[in-house]
Amino acid sequence: MRYLAAALLVLAALILPSQTRAHEASLGVLELREVRPGAFIGHWTMEPTMGADHVDLRMPPHCFVRLPELNCGEKGLVGPVTITNLGADMSAVLIRIIPLAGEARSYTISSANPVVSVLAAGAPTLQTWIELARTYVNYGIDHILLGADHLLFVLGLIWIVRGGWRLTKTITAFTVGHSVSLAAAAFGLIGVPERPLNACIALSIVFVGIEIIKQQRGEAGLTARYPWAIAFTFGLVHGIGFAGALAALGLERRLLPAALLFFNLGVEIGQLAFVLLVLALIWAHRRLDAVLPRWGDTLPAYTIGSVSMFWFFGRLLSVFAAT
Amino acid sequence: MNMRFRRGVVAAAVLLAQANAAEAHIAASRLGDFYAGALHPLTDLQDIILWGAMGVLAGSLGAATGRWLVLVFPLGLLAGLVLGQSFGVASMWATVDAAMMLVLGLLLAAATRIPTGLLCALAFALALIRGAANASDLGPETDRLLFAAGLACAGYAAITLAMALALAFRGLDSSPSTSWQKIALRALGGWIAAIGLMMVGFGLAS
Repeated sequence: MRYLAAALLVLAALILPSQTRAHEASLGVLELREVRPGAFIGHWTMEPTMGADHVDLRMPPHCFVRLPELNCGEKGLVGPVTITNLGADMSAVLIRIIPLAGEARSYTISSANPVVSVLAAGAPTLQTWIELARTYVNYGIDHILLGADHLLFVLGLIWIVRGGWRLTKTITAFTVGHSVSLAAAAFGLIGVPERPLNACIALSIVFVGIEIIKQQRGEAGLTARYPWAIAFTFGLVHGIGFAGALAALGLERRLLPAALLFFNLGVEIGQLAFVLLVLALIWAHRRLDAVLPRWGDTLPAYTIGSVSMFWFFGRLLSVFAAT
Repeated sequence: MNMRFRRGVVAAAVLLAQANAAEAHIAASRLGDFYAGALHPLTDLQDIILWGAMGVLAGSLGAATGRWLVLVFPLGLLAGLVLGQSFGVASMWATVDAAMMLVLGLLLAAATRIPTGLLCALAFALALIRGAANASDLGPETDRLLFAAGLACAGYAAITLAMALALAFRGLDSSPSTSWQKIALRALGGWIAAIGLMMVGFGLAS
């Protein structure tokens, strides 16, 4: 178990810089406003970090596009839309279409969902829901797998909490916590500035590191005594962090509940996969009797603490830099 | 008929391997260089078979002998990645991979008792070769550190799980040597050796 955590933590430390960047999301939001039937004016309300000029946007074949101009003639903007150069520099682009009549519609193009089909205006069809599910489940999985801080916190919980049922309750409490705050933040019921929040998330991992040390010294820390309460509380904090990624996509309100549900589902799938992998490795280490020597007992806890403090100071600096 | 069947199996295996490769590349490009390193071995059938064979062989030898590979194998992969980056990958290594498969399969089939030191040396050599092979797909924009971390992490997880599963499958050391689990492991060794032999043949023929 300790052996495993040590290895994972060292790797988590190694992946730190890029993951932090990934979390700040290389997203773009393109707004297409219909000015006359079939003719649109497009502009980037959020420009991707790679620059709008470098985005290789492909519209349906009957459309002529040279931003800011987009003309689709009588057929209108209906058909496949894709971006061919999605990657590390630009993970997702939200296209918001504002028609002359009717509600605005949003489509998200990501590496997981590189082609979207723009549908005619009207009530959402089954195809719309399928597309929404595919996009946001994948986006949720990506978000949790790239969120080294969230995974490190979950790893800390697994470390501290012993016993299958107790661990299940703890992970469930974390899930409930982040689902509640994710929903509240996505619907605008609560709002926390992103940078201080990220610093708090780093601090929550420091807390877990300290709790591990306490446990190793034979003291019963808060997490050991009330694991579900701690997991739920910090789940609330992490959930607001998840909402930041969703909010950046600027979904229309009509589709938000479904998008939220699918995004959360994706986050859960990613988290469950991680937990199962860690549990499988713990089982394997026990089976092989492969554990850290005595002198290395505290190494994983200090690694967790050091990595998260490094994150905390980095994020705190960004708070001060922004003010 | 038998030959046709074998060709069918080989073709199906190649197709399956290509499907994995495609998916792994999609996931990797979407999730960055750490996951690119972790998923890259899935794009090569030789990695899958050789890593699995090494894990099963080590697991079949017992926990005390096999557990060293938890450290040795990922370290070998890292060393191989560095070597592969520095000196490139020799084309003859495809034959070496196949020969390695043959050797591992035969050792497993014969249920040979291998001393810990020799097993570690074998695992390190294998990891060195496969680490170098995985270096071949590093692009100029790939973050080396993240890719290496992902590869080592995948190597650690794969070898640890394979050893533990083999150990659990084999059962207790006190069980009779003719138990069906041990026979199944030896049969698996025979299949691995056969695949290795075929690949050596293909390698030499081409």
